[in-house]
Amino acid sequence: MKVGLPRALLFYYYDPLWQAFFHNLNIETVTSGNTTPHIVDNGVRNSVAEICVPIKIFCGHVVDLLATDVDAIFIPRMISVEERKRFCPKFLGLPDMMRNTVPGLEGRLLDPDVECRQESLVDMPNCDEFAKMLGKGSRDVKQAFAAAREQWEVFRRYHQSGMNIDEALAALNKKAEPLYEPLKTEKRLTIALLGYVYNIYDSFVGMDIIKKLRSMGSDVVTFEMLDDKLVAEKLQRYSKTMPWTFTNKLLGAGNDFFDDPKIDGIIHVTAFGCGPDSMLGRLLEFVAVDHHKPFMTVRVDEHTGEAHLSTRVEAFTDMLRRKKYPVG
Amino acid sequence: MTFPYMGPVLAYKKLLEAVGHEVIMPQKPTQRTFDLGVKYSPEFLCFPFKCLMGTYIEAVEAGAEAIVTTGGDDNCRAGFYAEIHRRILASMGYNVQFFVIESLFKHTREFFGTIRALKGTYSWWHTAQTIHFVFDLIAAMDRIQERIRILRAHEKNKGDFARAWRDIEDLFTTCNERSDVRAAEKRAWQILHSVPVELWDPKQAVRVGIVGEIYVTMEGHANQEIEETLASMGVEVVNSQYVSHWLKQRIQLLPWRKSYMETIIDKAKPYLKMDLGGHEQENIAHMIDYWEKGLDGVIHLMPFSCLPELVTQSIIPKVSKDLGMPVVSLALDEQRGTANNQTRLEAFLDLVIGKKIRRSGMPGLAAR
Repeated sequence: MKVGLPRALLFYYYDPLWQAFFHNLNIETVTSGNTTPHIVDNGVRNSVAEICVPIKIFCGHVVDLLATDVDAIFIPRMISVEERKRFCPKFLGLPDMMRNTVPGLEGRLLDPDVECRQESLVDMPNCDEFAKMLGKGSRDVKQAFAAAREQWEVFRRYHQSGMNIDEALAALNKKAEPLYEPLKTEKRLTIALLGYVYNIYDSFVGMDIIKKLRSMGSDVVTFEMLDDKLVAEKLQRYSKTMPWTFTNKLLGAGNDFFDDPKIDGIIHVTAFGCGPDSMLGRLLEFVAVDHHKPFMTVRVDEHTGEAHLSTRVEAFTDMLRRKKYPVG
Repeated sequence: MTFPYMGPVLAYKKLLEAVGHEVIMPQKPTQRTFDLGVKYSPEFLCFPFKCLMGTYIEAVEAGAEAIVTTGGDDNCRAGFYAEIHRRILASMGYNVQFFVIESLFKHTREFFGTIRALKGTYSWWHTAQTIHFVFDLIAAMDRIQERIRILRAHEKNKGDFARAWRDIEDLFTTCNERSDVRAAEKRAWQILHSVPVELWDPKQAVRVGIVGEIYVTMEGHANQEIEETLASMGVEVVNSQYVSHWLKQRIQLLPWRKSYMETIIDKAKPYLKMDLGGHEQENIAHMIDYWEKGLDGVIHLMPFSCLPELVTQSIIPKVSKDLGMPVVSLALDEQRGTANNQTRLEAFLDLVIGKKIRRSGMPGLAAR
């Protein structure tokens, strides 16, 4: 059996986990390539017009994989990975949406329900069903999950030591060469980058924003680098938190970034049409006003022009630098 | 005190007045409401949020000091509305108190806490009685409206049913207990039957269902009065969203009694496996159910960028293809231009009528 993994959405967060999981079950995996304009085109063609860009891109990757010889495409139904919080409705309905909009997917779909209470997915409740889909024993599947968890926790620890996803992956695969060439400057800045993994690390939609910031002499911090406990603690100041797992994480992380005196400014990267972010953005604006800290929202979509992003990021870093290192 | 303008506002007024609050009636949203809402809301928040934002601002300007609304912790953004509304109003300098009614079963303590705060010194018995009375009132009004949606397509003089509905609303305004509601409903039916209608052949009349997000589906001001437009074209309308149905579903106290929704929800399962926190699964079930009941087509309404309904929208083409049912999906926002939706509706109705002729072999339909 050969399983295709679309390089989109939560893939960036869970890649090592799923890779290790399938590896332990002796299932070959194929990952779709980096997002290209062609993939985006396919995605746009096969999804409804108004839906957010990340879903369109996901759809494009599915179409891409369908053209290869994979037996099944892995689209887990991400329901929850913590107690009482769930994912955005589009994640919950993702396999259904794909099945009904992408022709030829029916019958080649591997869509287990992921309804866990732990982020490492080790307490996957319906292993039997998933095992049946894979044609394996449910004990094997459970063991594979346990083994995958170890790998994933190493990956998370790399994160928490300050690596971003690309670097953590390289470290996990024991590749040592530096991925980004930082600019050597005296006037260093620390910028927090808030956004979902699938917007920031997708080099098409996120336009390598981390690379851009580093080449301008800033250190970049993202939400995955924070300790989960710290994020949860920061959320306690809200009487009611957001209903979506990752939006909540960003809210907690955002509050920490605003509190942290080491952070000079915050950039919120959001995709066009993202529903949860429309609320998160507003909440963060209120926090920014209280803290008098520079906060910028960058909205990305399927357009390929990089000029707007570069200009805004440059202007933002210039402003921060002038604020932090006043002349004279 | 005030509340969102949604559904039978009269009933909410009765409820709050019965426990001793002064009520500022929210105004039916106008262009100014939308403008205010859009101005003070985040750009990408959904349309109902903006409508409510505008409604609240207008109510606060009129002197409201507190807002009663619903919460919820489903994945739909609506559950989090109040948190953002409150902060935005505060940033505008309006310190308004919010009473957010949370889900009865998931947050029982918060639910009763809010009710306790609202009822003040009135007894629980009185409060329960009032809620029961108000529920009856809502249900009665919903029943009348359901019938009007069918009859209005055949009215002899344009505007008769709108006038009749205003009279009926006045009738219900005078109700103060459950027996009044029964009497008023009886009288309302008499008024309704006395409105002159053209004779029509039920087999030939075109009937379409409306499904979608609850706010834009229920509120004429939010959907460009789509029901009136349809009625003027001689089309009977069946709407899927009523506050009384929603309440019945949410506050199902007798576990052995199945709500209507539970009996049809399985029809949606092959298309959408689980409930996503909005009305998406219900809407798909309704669509299939309507088609099986012989309706001629379905109109799906959603606010632009609505999270759960986008999933419905993705699935609609497949449902429509499998059943052979005409479905049109309209996204609504603060843009008030009608030409787009009007054109799409007309094209849709052409399709519906063509389909009906083929389906039932009925030539010469009564649609005007």
